Amino acid sequence: MASARKKRQLIIVRHSPYGNSLARAALDAALAAAAFDQPVELLFMGNGVLQLLSAQDSSAIESRNIFKLIGSLPLYGIETLHVDADAMVRYAIELSELPVGAKPLDSSAMRQLITEHDHVLGF
Amino acid sequence: MILHTLNTGTDTAAFRDCLNLATANDAILLMGDGVYTALDGTTASASLQATGAEIFILASDARAAGILSRVPTFACLVDFEGFVSLTVRFDRQLAWY
Repeated sequence: MASARKKRQLIIVRHSPYGNSLARAALDAALAAAAFDQPVELLFMGNGVLQLLSAQDSSAIESRNIFKLIGSLPLYGIETLHVDADAMVRYAIELSELPVGAKPLDSSAMRQLITEHDHVLGF
Repeated sequence: MILHTLNTGTDTAAFRDCLNLATANDAILLMGDGVYTALDGTTASASLQATGAEIFILASDARAAGILSRVPTFACLVDFEGFVSLTVRFDRQLAWY
């Protein structure tokens, strides 16, 4: 039996970290894919870039710290964080403030990224 | 080739982000509040057309909204069978909400 090529997943996160549970759900999906050795990449788009602000402290709102969860992604082999460059400008976030694996993309590069994946999930 | 589905109206991040990523090879299916983005003669519907994607509107939701007479000529009304056909035709799907 021929082995099928693994489907490449792209997870697009578009919501800020604590207003709803989508940020957490997206990271769970990414970690699950990685744990089962499936190729997965993340794109932080629109309000999703706010998940990358490093000073997050969720202790008073009884929530897991999303930034810390993102920090564990390299342990699972997810090293690149694609980031919406226009959203960075909208929120006045500099590349230097973002985690080391952050890679800013303009709209056309984001469209190109989609074509490189077999399956796209939006959170 | 992606089938985008949009269920929110014009002043939303979902609509903005969908417009950002949709290309001429894609289709956008408007449902729920998404049907309001296609109102003829609006900036929103012009933006939809400018993506180059095929624009589809779920007929039952357009009828509920009372906008059947305001559907622009570039958009195509579909019923649920048409919705299913779209999911078969496009190999990937992305929900905007």
